[in-house]
Amino acid sequence: MNAADRSALPGLGAPRPFEFPPIATDTLPNGIRLWTIDRPRSELVTVLLLLRHGSAADPPGRAGLAALTGDLLDEGSRERDGIELHRALQRMGGACATDVTSDGTFVSVTALARFARQAVAHLIEVAARPRFDPDDVERVRGLRLSRLAQMERIAGSVADRAWLAGLYGSHPYAHSPIGSAPSLEAAGAADVAAFHERRFGAGGWTVIVVATDAARLRPVVSEQLAALPGGGGAPAPPPPDPAPAARRLLLVPRPGAVQSEIRLGHLGAARTSPDHHALVALNMVLGGQFVSRVNLNLRERKGYTYGARTVLDLRRGRGPFVLRAAVETSATADAVREAAAEIAAILGDRPVSDAELDGARAALTRGFARRFETAGQLAGAAMRLALFDLPADDYTNFVPRVAALDARAVAGAAARLLHPERLVAVVVGDPDKLPSSLADAGFGEPVGP
Amino acid sequence: MPGALPYAKTTLDNGLDVIVHEEHACPIVAVNLWYHVGSKNERPGRTGFAHLFEHLMFEGSEHHDAGYFRPLEEAGGTLNGSTNADRTNYWATVPREAVERALWLESDRMGYLLPALSAEKLATQRDVVLNERRQNYENRPYGLAPMILAAAHFPLPHPYHWPTIGVPADLHAVGLEDVREFFAAYYHPGNASLAIAGDIDTDEALALAGRHFGEISTGPPPPPVAIPAGPSGGCDSRPRSLCLEDRVELVRIYLTWRTTALFEAGDAELDVLADLLAGGLSSRLHRALVHDRRLAVDVGAWQDSREIAGVFAISATVAPGARPADVEAVVTDELARLADEGPDPDELARVVRCSESAMASLLQRVGGFGGRSDQLNRYNVFAGTPGYLAGDLARYRRVDRSGVRAAAARLAAERRIALSVVPLGANDAALPGAEPADAS
Repeated sequence: MNAADRSALPGLGAPRPFEFPPIATDTLPNGIRLWTIDRPRSELVTVLLLLRHGSAADPPGRAGLAALTGDLLDEGSRERDGIELHRALQRMGGACATDVTSDGTFVSVTALARFARQAVAHLIEVAARPRFDPDDVERVRGLRLSRLAQMERIAGSVADRAWLAGLYGSHPYAHSPIGSAPSLEAAGAADVAAFHERRFGAGGWTVIVVATDAARLRPVVSEQLAALPGGGGAPAPPPPDPAPAARRLLLVPRPGAVQSEIRLGHLGAARTSPDHHALVALNMVLGGQFVSRVNLNLRERKGYTYGARTVLDLRRGRGPFVLRAAVETSATADAVREAAAEIAAILGDRPVSDAELDGARAALTRGFARRFETAGQLAGAAMRLALFDLPADDYTNFVPRVAALDARAVAGAAARLLHPERLVAVVVGDPDKLPSSLADAGFGEPVGP
Repeated sequence: MPGALPYAKTTLDNGLDVIVHEEHACPIVAVNLWYHVGSKNERPGRTGFAHLFEHLMFEGSEHHDAGYFRPLEEAGGTLNGSTNADRTNYWATVPREAVERALWLESDRMGYLLPALSAEKLATQRDVVLNERRQNYENRPYGLAPMILAAAHFPLPHPYHWPTIGVPADLHAVGLEDVREFFAAYYHPGNASLAIAGDIDTDEALALAGRHFGEISTGPPPPPVAIPAGPSGGCDSRPRSLCLEDRVELVRIYLTWRTTALFEAGDAELDVLADLLAGGLSSRLHRALVHDRRLAVDVGAWQDSREIAGVFAISATVAPGARPADVEAVVTDELARLADEGPDPDELARVVRCSESAMASLLQRVGGFGGRSDQLNRYNVFAGTPGYLAGDLARYRRVDRSGVRAAAARLAAERRIALSVVPLGANDAALPGAEPADAS
């Protein structure tokens, strides 16, 4: 056997073709959209319900209501209490999860494949016929208030929340889905029931099923869903365009902290931005992966942090663009300065190089297939098509569009996205140990949150 | 049901186990390499070293003296590694066309790491690891609890005494000579297991593995780990109650027992017991503590079984205004009830079925932590054969009511170590009789 040639890294050769699996789509007479995807040899079935409202649709003074409502779905239905619901899930080897983001509410049931019908019935029971017993509402609200109080002690959560509020002001994206203590305390069982009545009508449902032999399952699932009364469930309107915030650094004291949590960024883009592919490539170079500029600088060269990343949170409206890192306290000012400098440099004297663009394109196109391996990944991908009203060929087009990007397209997208003069920074750290040079990090004197 | 994870295994002349599993649904391949070394192979004064070493493995080798992330991320891959008390694993999940590159890199750092080693790399990665420790342990509410419990359950010289992340002074003491010695002792084919899983033919994968790893010479068998005799290490058997002040909002109590090792008799029963107690809304402790009496805002239970010993733990975060002693009393009652009556047959069947689907869920992926390639190596290293999946699942199906009763009764009889994590200055909120814990 020949030994390996160690004079050079093996090349890659041509990428293998990968096609996103077809989504069979149907709209039932009651308005429910049923989408199914076949996944060969799947031991599990995943059923996902998408509702196009999230925390941005919280009514005024009720921040946290969408997430509270979502949390209560599996705490009891008209037929059974939460304990019995959970036992039923266990009998199918199942799990039920509700996730609420700014723009969407997702209820999923995953179970052993032979229980597909029961999994769909379970999803319908919790999403269409929740009980909202006042005692359960009171208990779950209390748990969420405790969670909020606990989050005040988690430096990263404090930083995330302070940064979002500092960036978005009074915009619907300013609060995280859990809301705030005063708004949760004001939310009662009547609010939850009214919110459900208004937002959960089956006419607005998109149900996504990922299973082996999904075509065989379709008629059964159709019949189950078609029995629901139609109407209602209109999607929440997309949020308005947020007003840009002024460049500043917010300092949140955390006495005794051994690290500083840093957030730095500004408004980003909507998922439907025409710059989408260029922005995704730009983020890969700047901070979206291990070998991005930000991580190589702050972690691999300076050793300030365990890791630094930028996140382009693509939403229905303009989501946040943010750099996140937890850094050694003594390096706080340097890390803020370096991070801001990386953002300015990619716009200015160090634009994305040809080699960097090659690397980002290859990472995205060759790495495309592994994003769709599990049932949950496939269901999530289909969900995003529905949530953002994307064309059916969005995934088919991804690889050719990214492959066609050139340096000009990426530079143009960078110029439209990045605005160093509008960067909002947050530092959560020990005020007694932070270097006095924080004022020299380029943001002026730190201000309170 | 899961249970089918077909594979081919061969052992190269240099001792490297090579395991291949074909799954062609997605055009990706997972390369997963285990070294049978972890923090239990360290010595006091050099704790945290196995994990720091793992970081150095990503910094370059003789024929690719640059970071390991770029050539694989730019090939569309994703990669990581992790260290625990017993093993260190490295994995990359790459598109089909990058599998040769992944194997070339993985083999280069097995065979040729030291020529690329430098004091500068060591210093930077030591700083990164110190920040990892700050981020994940020191600056995280309740983050030091696992270290305190391990130290209490496994008194020195037991090698589970110290945390895998290490003691900061020890990390500062590491020198290049430590790196060289450690590499020679543990990082060679005879102490490793390679799994390749995904869209690749078995013969091709075996040939690629042989071509890249076959030339690496094996090393001496690693020195044995000294394990103190006796289930409690010959130490004091009186129960202990400890208290730690931390920047937390709510008191959390941990009730813990030293138990069996991974795959030993009784291990599966303890896993099942944990799920009966705290696996979801209908579990006994969730129902009693969170749902009905509202004494706690969350509960958890787990059997953390490792290669040479385990710890069973129950945790509960005490609700505002509730008393930790009342939470403890509910837990004690529920354990006594299970020891006395055992679970209902339906309750037991439900929990066992969930263990089946939890494994199916992990096995959806060919790579990553807990995916197919990682499980094949886990079984190969800890159970002696990559083909243990069916046997592993059978352990759970065999659990019966009397087994659960015995597991619960055993806890009642064993030495218990309690830990209360309380807000700063709130020592009086701990369980009665708690003594201050040493959080070094």
